[in-house]
Amino acid sequence: MIGFILADLRRLWAGSLVVVLLVALATALGVAVTLQERALRLGSARAADKFDLVIGAPGSETQLVLSSIFLQPSPLPLMDGTVLPRLLADPRVASAAPVGFGDSFGGYAVVGTSSGLVRDLEALAEGRVFAVAGEAVVGAAVDLPIDYAVKPTHGLAELGGHAHTELSYRIVGRLKPTGTAWDRAILVPMQAVWALHGMEAEHDEADAHHDHTHDEHASGGEAAHQPIEADAALDEDWSKVTPGLPAILVKPKSIADAYKLRQDYRDNATLAVFPGEVLTNLYATLGDAKKVLVGVTTGAQVLVAAAILLVTVLHVGQRRRQIGALRAFGAPRRAVFVIVWSELFALTASGVLLGFSLGFGAAKFIAGYLSAESGVAMPVMFAAGDGFLVSVILAFAAVLAVLPAMLAYRQPPAAALRS
Amino acid sequence: MRFPGLAAPALAIDSLSIPADSRVALTGASGSGKSTLISILTGLERVGQGRILWGDVDICTLSEGGRDRWRGANIGLVLQNFHLFPGLSAFENVLLPARLSGAMARDIRARAQDLLLRVGLARPTQMIETMSRGEMQRVAIARALLRRPGVVIADEPTASLDSDAGDAVGDLLIELSRESGCTLVVATHDPALTRRLDRRIRLVAGRIVEDGVIGERAA
Repeated sequence: MIGFILADLRRLWAGSLVVVLLVALATALGVAVTLQERALRLGSARAADKFDLVIGAPGSETQLVLSSIFLQPSPLPLMDGTVLPRLLADPRVASAAPVGFGDSFGGYAVVGTSSGLVRDLEALAEGRVFAVAGEAVVGAAVDLPIDYAVKPTHGLAELGGHAHTELSYRIVGRLKPTGTAWDRAILVPMQAVWALHGMEAEHDEADAHHDHTHDEHASGGEAAHQPIEADAALDEDWSKVTPGLPAILVKPKSIADAYKLRQDYRDNATLAVFPGEVLTNLYATLGDAKKVLVGVTTGAQVLVAAAILLVTVLHVGQRRRQIGALRAFGAPRRAVFVIVWSELFALTASGVLLGFSLGFGAAKFIAGYLSAESGVAMPVMFAAGDGFLVSVILAFAAVLAVLPAMLAYRQPPAAALRS
Repeated sequence: MRFPGLAAPALAIDSLSIPADSRVALTGASGSGKSTLISILTGLERVGQGRILWGDVDICTLSEGGRDRWRGANIGLVLQNFHLFPGLSAFENVLLPARLSGAMARDIRARAQDLLLRVGLARPTQMIETMSRGEMQRVAIARALLRRPGVVIADEPTASLDSDAGDAVGDLLIELSRESGCTLVVATHDPALTRRLDRRIRLVAGRIVEDGVIGERAA
């Protein structure tokens, strides 16, 4: 019987191929949407995992997370210079590091921070952490060699930012991959960022108050263009008042401390957020978008199922005489049913399996592209529930194949004699 | 035997008896009821009224599955359009009905080989679509005889063949049915083939208008 089924499918190879491809594409669409959405969710959640608590100036929570965790270039309001010293003095804080954004180089974000955060982030793959103002450590995905001189651009070069001529950073180290957006960042001393933007503590204090909600882009524009000492020793003592900061990454001592800190630093002057929580809210919104996408792909799949059903019912009609002949030569009705059912099920099942690999490939491809763009690793993977999904789809295909098989089963065998 | 929508019965036969090991020609114009009679004799259709006795069994009382089984075991069918299945070899085509009915006895492959040789086909592995029409009908004859049926029923076996191939197919049907002692019923328009059979039944409008031994009629 298998020989007959295979011969039959070989004979009808063109039609069979179309059915397999239709099923495969419909399946791939659904699989790609599911996998890609999952990869995005997992990838961003893991990327945010390394950052426990982010404190910024009051404003949009989402923007604070997007800018500080995913390094999206956009202006953030600045916090008062007293926040960091207060945090450092807080017994619930294990460590607190300032981060400053706004500059870029060759499409990579230049992020000012402390040497401590660089060490916390990930081990070094090569070189060492910056020790003077004019040194930089690059993320794993930054395609620049050690000793390369980075001349930062204010803002993004393609958006018309101007180059900082006052200082160039020498790359002295490279981090191991973290799977986060920080893999595509050039990490430099915070002190140097302040200096470049004319915000050093001594002359910042005067205008920090009326510059409160001022973003770095604007203050950069006002920067005094004096050459900056690249060999200046790092001063990472932030126990006194510092210049304004867009964000501080805080590592609390315990989970309880984390919740207390978040509560204490949500007031008129600061906004404390758990990146994970903000992402969860974001996913809730994305979830609706996913529902729409899933709805659309399900609609496409139902259409394909209907089309295949139509084609097979017509096909069984066209094979009335062949099916009748099988019966006339003594084949039981059961055999006819099994032949028609297995042929259709074999086609749809191979389509589904092919579709899963196609969808996986497509999701991999898209995730690879997005990862290269953002630095956030996007794990494309099947989950346990997907096995269930495959069984559901296959069961559906099995049920679908019953209709034409029943038609064939009920075909009167005398049809073979009529020409 | 009536069909819905038709006023006159398609077939109205008071009594017809075909003894075992006889060779019968079934003639008549198109629409005279030959195919209907064959459908009924093979159990492909049931009669509305009346009985079809196979020995002591009325095959009309069998279930559909029962008639399929009975037909597979006792009837060998040869049809005008062969109904061979492309993509399979001659050998596989001969075996196919037995395979689908789960009737693969131990010696059946050897028998299939022998039958193919007997009908004059030396290459059992040849694909069916590469054969001539005459060769195809010979494969169909081998298939009909595979399970040693009591009756071989052929519906216009030579109609789609040229006269040489038709003659050869006629020869084979008659010789093989004699050799195996099975009854042969041939519905045909072919006068040459009809003449070579023992008995002729002529149908007009579903009724038997002539039933006689061919030799007698000629005398």
